[in-house]
Amino acid sequence: MSDTPLVEMRGITKRFGGVTALSDVDLDAYAGEVLAIVGDNGAGKSTLIKILTGVYQPTAGEMFLAGERISFASHAGAIAKGIDAVYQTLALADHLDPPANMFLGNELTKKVMGVTVLDIARMRTETERVLMDRLGVTLKSLDSPTESLSGGQRQAVAIARAVYHEDLRVLVMDEPTAALGPQETARTLNLIETLKAQGLAIILISHSLDEVFQVSDRIHVQRRGKRVGFVRTTESSNQAVLGMIIGAKEAA
Amino acid sequence: MAAGDTQAVRTLNERIEPYFAIIGPMAMILALLLFMAIVEPARYFRWSNVNLILLDAALYMPMAMAMTFVITQRGIDLSVGSIAALSAIIMAFLIKQFGFSVYFALPIALGLGALMGLVNGLIITRFNVPDLIGTLAMDLVYRGFALVIAKGLVLARFPELITEIGRGRLPGLIPIPVVIGIATMIAGFVLLRRSHFGRYTIAIGSNPEAAELTGIAVNRHKVYAYVLCGACAALAGVMLTGKLNAIQATSAPYFNLHVIAAVVVGGTSLFGGRASMIGSFAGVLLLSMMINALVTLRIEFFWQSVASGVVIVSSVALYSWMQKKDRDGAGGLIAALMTSEGQKLTRFSAFIIGALILLLAIGAIFAGNPQASG
Repeated sequence: MSDTPLVEMRGITKRFGGVTALSDVDLDAYAGEVLAIVGDNGAGKSTLIKILTGVYQPTAGEMFLAGERISFASHAGAIAKGIDAVYQTLALADHLDPPANMFLGNELTKKVMGVTVLDIARMRTETERVLMDRLGVTLKSLDSPTESLSGGQRQAVAIARAVYHEDLRVLVMDEPTAALGPQETARTLNLIETLKAQGLAIILISHSLDEVFQVSDRIHVQRRGKRVGFVRTTESSNQAVLGMIIGAKEAA
Repeated sequence: MAAGDTQAVRTLNERIEPYFAIIGPMAMILALLLFMAIVEPARYFRWSNVNLILLDAALYMPMAMAMTFVITQRGIDLSVGSIAALSAIIMAFLIKQFGFSVYFALPIALGLGALMGLVNGLIITRFNVPDLIGTLAMDLVYRGFALVIAKGLVLARFPELITEIGRGRLPGLIPIPVVIGIATMIAGFVLLRRSHFGRYTIAIGSNPEAAELTGIAVNRHKVYAYVLCGACAALAGVMLTGKLNAIQATSAPYFNLHVIAAVVVGGTSLFGGRASMIGSFAGVLLLSMMINALVTLRIEFFWQSVASGVVIVSSVALYSWMQKKDRDGAGGLIAALMTSEGQKLTRFSAFIIGALILLLAIGAIFAGNPQASG
C-alpha cells in the first residue's frame, strides 16, 4: 500500500444552477486498493465520480493523477488518461455480440483491397484473451447477442471493455452488483479482487455495506454533498460507517 | 464440460432464434409457391412471369437496403416515394428541357436524392422533429415540388442509358435492374456486417445512450442512414423512369409502405437494433411475388394495398410474439400456443384471417372486367 494516493480530488465543488451538489469535497484513491464510496441517495456520490470520469466539470476544485494535475472536457478525455467507469446500466448494445460491444467506438480494422473493414476475427480473439487473461472469465458463446448472457457475464464484458486499454489505472464501478443475484455478486466481487491485484485503483460505489466491508480497503463516506468520513476498512465497523451515513456521528 | 455438451443443451428454439428473420419470409414464400403451384401453376411459373417478378422486386431492393439501416437505428423514412419522383422529374427535365447529357443528369439525380435525405436527417437530428412527422412532412414537400415542376406533364422517351437501367438485359438473359438491385443488397450486407457504419447502426438502435457513451457520433450516423436512403430512393426513381420510359409527378405513390413492409417482414425490428439484410431481400421478393400472384389470379389491382397491410401487421405481430421471452411455460413455440392466452390469440387470429378470406372471396366475385356504366 503506497502512501501517496494515485487519484486526488481537492476541494471539489459542483453547483447545478442554485443547487450545490458537492461542496469542497476531497477524494483519495490508491493504486492496488479498493476505495468504496458510500452514502445515502442524493449524497453526491454519482456527481463526484462523474466529475472524476469527465462527464461533469467541477465548479471549483482540482484533480491530480499520480501528482499530475488533470482536468477533462469530456469522458473521452478521462479515458485517454486511464480513468474509466463501468456504469450500472452497463452501457451495452444488447443486439451486438460481446466482441462488438467490447470494441464499440474503438473497432479494430484491416485493409481488404485498400478498403478499411472491421477485423471481426481479431476482435473475437482479443475479446477472448482479455476476458481470460485479465478477468479469468470464459463465455459460453462469443457469437450470440449480448442480451442472451447472464447479468454477471454482461458485466464481465463491460469491465473487459474498460480494462482493454492497457494504460487503464483507475476503474470506477457504479453499483456493479445492484441487479445481480447472490452467486453473480460473489463472482463480481472476485473480479474486483482480481483487478485490484493487477494494480488498478478501484472506486466502488455501493449501497451494500456488507459488500463494502468484504472488498474495500478504504471507505469514503459522503453525506449531503460533503465527505464526512474517510477510514481504513480494517479500522472501522459496519455500525460506525452506518452512523456516518445517516449523520449520527461526524468523523474527522 | 466439452463444448459439444453445451451446444446440445441449447434448445432447438434457442438455436433457430437467430434465423427467425429469414425463416419468416422464407416460410411465407414457400407457402405462396405451394398455393400458386396448386391454383395457377401454368401462368405463375412461366419464365416470363418470373422475369416480371424479378423486375418488380429489383426496383425496391436499393430502397429496402437503405431502409434497413434507417429502421435499425429506430428511425423511419416516409419520404422515399416522393424523393424518387422528385429526383426522377428533375433528371427528366434536365435531359428533355435543358439538353443535359444523361451522364450529367443521372449523377445529379442521385446527388439530389442524397441531398433530400440529408435534409431529412438534419431536420430529425438538429431540430429534434420525430422521424415519423419529419419525413411525412418532407414527403409532402418533395411531392409538392415535383408537382410544381412537372405540373401535369408526363415526360417520356429517354436516352438509352436510362431505359437500359430500367429494363435492359445483359447477354445471358439477366435484366440489368435485377443486377443493380442485387448488387445494392450485397453492398448493404457488407456495409451492415463489416463496416463501422453498420455496426454503429445496430448499436444506436439497440441502446442509443450506450452508443453515445462509447463516443459514437450518434446524430452523424443517423444522418448518414437518411442520406443513403435518399440516394437509394433517387436510384429507384431512375430505375422506375427507365422501366416505364416515362415519369410524372405522381409516380411512385406506394413506395413508402411497400419498402417498409418488405424490411419489416424480413425481420428487421421496428424497435431498433435487430437488422437482417437477407431478410429484407427475402421480404422484397415475397411482396413482389404476392402482388404478382394477385395479378395472376386476376384479383383487382387495388387488393394489393389490402394484402400489403395485412402482411405488415401479421409479421410484426408474429415477431413481437416470438420475441416475448417471459411467456408462461416458456417451453417452446408449441407449448406457448397451448396456454390459455395463446389459445385466445390463436382464436383471434383465426377470426381475422377468416374475415379477410371472406372479404377476398367477395372481392373475387365482384372482380371482373369493368363495364362502362350508363
